[in-house]
Amino acid sequence: MSAPNIANAKSYVLVQIGDRRFALSAAEVSELAPPVRLHQFPHNSPLVSGIIVRRGRLVPVYDVCRLLTGKDSPSHQFYLVARRHFGSASEPAAIPVNGDSELVTADTVEVTSPKYVSGILIHGNESIEVLDLDTLVTAGSQEQIQLANRGLDA
Amino acid sequence: MRIAAQDTVKARKARRPEAVILFTVSNQLFAIAADSVQEIRSTDSLGAALEIEQQEIPKVRHTIERGHRTYYVVNACAHFGLRIVRPALVLMLRQIRVAVLVDRIERMAEISGLGALPRAFIGTERQWYRGLAYLEDQVIPVVNPLGFLTSQEFIRLDGATAEASRRDLERAAVPL
Repeated sequence: MSAPNIANAKSYVLVQIGDRRFALSAAEVSELAPPVRLHQFPHNSPLVSGIIVRRGRLVPVYDVCRLLTGKDSPSHQFYLVARRHFGSASEPAAIPVNGDSELVTADTVEVTSPKYVSGILIHGNESIEVLDLDTLVTAGSQEQIQLANRGLDA
Repeated sequence: MRIAAQDTVKARKARRPEAVILFTVSNQLFAIAADSVQEIRSTDSLGAALEIEQQEIPKVRHTIERGHRTYYVVNACAHFGLRIVRPALVLMLRQIRVAVLVDRIERMAEISGLGALPRAFIGTERQWYRGLAYLEDQVIPVVNPLGFLTSQEFIRLDGATAEASRRDLERAAVPL
């Protein structure tokens, strides 16, 4: 862990996922959507739980609750819509959160593990992990694929 | 950031409408381009379907002869990984030698645009679907007729049926 970088204070959105709070860079977040209908259809992509429709766009939903907290997502979730990057392209991506969110400006401390945490910010007396959405869903997908492969081998 | 009210899908710029058939498989709704379906038949009329012996592609267990062509009968429940239910109808496809077992036809509809499958989807669904339609507040996957069997699977199935035919001929041959 390195020293806080005060000069690089940025805005973050604090969200509640399961029983924990996490932060995402506000620059990547486009909206907090209400509990709209989750559309589901057959597929075998890890982590993807379905699609919501926002502003005429189809937004895939990544259920990261189990990965981050070890517990299933509660029902009636809001959705935090952010951008996921694929090389030079990007598309909206949603993660289920509960409705409580907060916009804060803070500096962060860099961390190297787990990979999907890009830093830690201090808010009040709380240390909050800053999530890197791209790395989080990639790591989560790989973990699920490995678990599925182990299940097949067993 | 803001908390947005639930909004409706904006009308997209006009595109040529496409006729689709909405059908269900194990209670899941799908769409397929109407012009890719040659014929819809009841499974009761498939008395002449031949069982084929092969284990490699479990979603195919029968063939149907139609217009001097052999169609492979694909169970859509098995193809999409859904709970297996007894199918009532078979969709004979136009472009390829595939007949698809489905539960029922819901209706015909027109879609004015096809949304691309988001890049979040990285599995075999990229072969299964041409894209997604948004129809009456419902996201419906539009199936790709060419995604039911790969060219490799056709080669294996053709091999299995040729082998079965050869064995049948040998059994039928009367020794002199």
